[in-house]
Amino acid sequence: MYYLILLPASVLLAAVVIWGTKRNLREWSAGVRVPAVVIALLAMLVAAFLGSLATLVAVSSHGPITMRFYDPPSVTALGIPIGFYIDRLSAVMMVLISGVTSIIYLFSIRYMQQEHGYCRFLVLLSLTTFVLLGMVSSSNLLMLFVFWQLLTWLLYLLAHNYAHAGTIEGAFKTFTMLRLADVTFLAGIVLTNALYGTLEFQTLFARAADMPITLSLWPGSGLEINAVTAVTLLIFIGAMGKSAQFPLHMWLPGSLYAPTPVHALLHAGIINAGGFLLNRLAPLYGLSPATLHVVFVIGAITAILGACMMLTQNDIKKTLGYSTIGQMGYMIMECGLGAFALAVFHLIAHGLFKATVFLNCGNVIHNARQEMKFPHVDQIAEPAAFSLLTWLTGFIATLVLPLGILLAANGILHIPLLGSQGTVIFLFFAWVTSSQAILTLTRLRAVASWKVAVAMLLTLLLVVFTYLLAAESFTHYLYPAPDEVARYFKAAALPGWLFDGIVVATTLLIIMGWVYIYAHAHERTIRIPAWAEMLRARLYVLFMNRLYVDVVYHRLGQGLMRVAHCLDKRYAGWLP
Amino acid sequence: MIRILTDPLWMLVGVPVVGAALGLLLWSKPGMLKVWALLVSMASLLLLMGMSGRLSGPVEGMALLYLLPVAAFLSLLGQPVHQVARVPWVMTLLLLGVGLGAIVSQDQPGVIFLPSVLGLVGLLVHRYRTSTRSQLIWGIGTYSLGMGCLFVSLVAASPISSVALLLTYAILLPLFPFHGGYVAALAGLPGNLPVFLALLLPSIGFHGLLTLLPDTPGGVVQALVILALFGALYGSLKALVQCKVIDLLAYASTAFFAILWWYLALTRGYTPQAAVYLSAVALVTAGLLLAWRAVQVRYGDVDLSAISGLARSMPRFAAGLALLVLAAMGLPPFGLFSGFIGMLLDPSLALSGTLLVILIAWLTASWYFLDLMQRILFGRPRPDIRYEDLRHTEIASLLMILMILLSIGVAPSRFFEPGMPDPAYRTAMESDPWSK
Repeated sequence: MYYLILLPASVLLAAVVIWGTKRNLREWSAGVRVPAVVIALLAMLVAAFLGSLATLVAVSSHGPITMRFYDPPSVTALGIPIGFYIDRLSAVMMVLISGVTSIIYLFSIRYMQQEHGYCRFLVLLSLTTFVLLGMVSSSNLLMLFVFWQLLTWLLYLLAHNYAHAGTIEGAFKTFTMLRLADVTFLAGIVLTNALYGTLEFQTLFARAADMPITLSLWPGSGLEINAVTAVTLLIFIGAMGKSAQFPLHMWLPGSLYAPTPVHALLHAGIINAGGFLLNRLAPLYGLSPATLHVVFVIGAITAILGACMMLTQNDIKKTLGYSTIGQMGYMIMECGLGAFALAVFHLIAHGLFKATVFLNCGNVIHNARQEMKFPHVDQIAEPAAFSLLTWLTGFIATLVLPLGILLAANGILHIPLLGSQGTVIFLFFAWVTSSQAILTLTRLRAVASWKVAVAMLLTLLLVVFTYLLAAESFTHYLYPAPDEVARYFKAAALPGWLFDGIVVATTLLIIMGWVYIYAHAHERTIRIPAWAEMLRARLYVLFMNRLYVDVVYHRLGQGLMRVAHCLDKRYAGWLP
Repeated sequence: MIRILTDPLWMLVGVPVVGAALGLLLWSKPGMLKVWALLVSMASLLLLMGMSGRLSGPVEGMALLYLLPVAAFLSLLGQPVHQVARVPWVMTLLLLGVGLGAIVSQDQPGVIFLPSVLGLVGLLVHRYRTSTRSQLIWGIGTYSLGMGCLFVSLVAASPISSVALLLTYAILLPLFPFHGGYVAALAGLPGNLPVFLALLLPSIGFHGLLTLLPDTPGGVVQALVILALFGALYGSLKALVQCKVIDLLAYASTAFFAILWWYLALTRGYTPQAAVYLSAVALVTAGLLLAWRAVQVRYGDVDLSAISGLARSMPRFAAGLALLVLAAMGLPPFGLFSGFIGMLLDPSLALSGTLLVILIAWLTASWYFLDLMQRILFGRPRPDIRYEDLRHTEIASLLMILMILLSIGVAPSRFFEPGMPDPAYRTAMESDPWSK
């Protein structure tokens, strides 16, 4: 099993080789042909990908692989307790990371060829892959934190360009914000070690389940908190930082000056770290319903704000960046509902999708510069007449089909949809996105025929069922014990009335939105109160300015510095 | 006489002190003097290694002792040959000798060596007066206080003498509000002296503190914790507002050492984590001072706002500085990370709300160190400056510091195994996972 070390080692070797041959590489890269060394390095990454696939197969058939180069009872005995714990979750993440990185590397060979920092970029790409592989295969919380921190630094290096003031500012913001999250993560680790005496995952989960501890928040006040809740909340703040959750999300749009492949890596790999962390510690989070509810709320807020901010951006990269924030919010929300496996499914799907979009967005920008009317204006294709058929199809797709799917899945496929809120949310997501996409297509094409309507509904059914089955199979794969999944759902369950209320309110909002858009597209007027129109305008400005969160942070920093200067001047003579 | 000459303590002290005296013969040849100083510091290291079996040994083990001649060597290595640097070189050897004596002579720490260290550094601060007036007054005042406290510790009875000694050690291992001497030494002394003193003074203070803390009354310990917490915040705040790099480094290391005081006061005994942390903080400070010294040598004593864009014009310097800043911000795999994490995960450390203050100080360090790096390395290079990257000796000294930081970060317990501990410390060490 020691061959597993070769997986991250090969990527690290790639970084060393690039650094060692950087002078030649720079000369070669200017030429037309792709140098042999670049192909060799790509081969190393592909080897890591194939190795990850082999590991996935091995782990699936033989169970988790554990390797430790330290004495487990004394995990703090060395500076860095190096060990590997590769279960299905780790293996899946390794495949995703090495696969996406290989594609990005392949893309970058030509895309970044003329760049001054070509070698630096390739080295950083390899190092980031190494760190990500190390992080997902860590055998204890301390080693995971070591890679977690290295990832923070690498993100800073990837995001900055020392010749460009905007990127330097963005990189500084990225680092300080992630550092804030890292420090709370560290506090969580320290508390974990102090309370349970271990940082080994399996031992920690067992001890946390066996030892219910209550902590006093303030001596003598009677304010108490469950130890697991305290630990998981602190660690969750760490995850919030990496996964760009509100209000620690501002670093992601701030780093948008970085090259396109960096974004692909960031949005497809690095940002998933938060979701991975929650999944890795799922047994611990499953012990704290309070934390899961907080996770749900933060995720929901981020999803809503991210999506709203995305809609008001006029820059393709910013739009994609805020879309990622929204998606990450959704993914975290799934964790908050106990649907940990679905969150992983979501982050894989999102990672692949977003990497593709980012790698392609350079071409879109290029085309837009070449051809000023690109992208096409959709109003040209708008139908003039109101189509009852299209409307009816949309109504069925919106209201009737979900009910049918819910009942069919519950009764025929025996998927416990009604009992698991996480799956309902996931299904909700699948339904909303696919029906939204299909309705948009229909609206754009102005098609009002029965054939199209039936084809659309069938496609929708197919998409949602495929999605549902894939997600269910993946859940079963990642968490083979049904009891475990049920326990997470139970711990995360919101009060029935609240959950139903959220679903109903969201459904109503979406339907209202569709009605509004449809009517607007068909030049029909909907009577909207003046205050609502004013609110809409104000919200638009608010979201367009990203809720002024970056301004608030900026002012906060300035205020802190002003206080520091003021104190320094006032007491300059009194203290050394 | 022969007995004295063959005594390990006097041999250790003698080699650098005699080396310093013989160095005066080479006064008119600065190049030769520098080579001589380097040879003497290497000889001290070899002698120390050779005698490690014969020394009764400090409780914190030999690694910290080895670092002293290494620091002297590295601080001398990258220095340009110039007449004004001769005094710092000779004084480095002299201070190395008395510093080794202060740590190795466990029985009578206050008699000869400790006052010598305080006196010499105090005199140097007075002689050079390159720091601000306020720093100068505080510096000289603090060293005078240290001398006075040492005198009191020799003549007074037990509780008073212990508190007086504690104050002396609070001057050496800087603790608020007695950090003025340390800041003045780093900010005001010329040449390589600040680099060497960044390691020497805290090491002596740390060593002395270990002998005192187990018997320190609870009330005093409580006061130390409060001072440490205040010092951590104060040092961080001061570091945030500095426009001179050396001042920033001095206050930053004061904040870092305050964290060590906090830990030592709560655990009240030696742990390898503390030694790792101390060494790492001192080495990081020394490394950054050394890097900045290279800038000073080229462009003068400039403010942070007066120099920028060195990443493009001095790439080797930029790489070294970036790595040192990485270490200073407590990121793995360097020693500061290992030491800090080790201290926080120490089972003998009773966690409380004070951890929040420590984490704030730790977080603030990321802010001002990153700002320091960005301001020096990024931005536009000045067109009126002819930039010159680091020379081989300068790179070598920075690289060696980084290598040491990396080594103690990756395998800290290999370097800081305790020496021959007193029975008082043994219980604490046996329950310590670092010693398993």
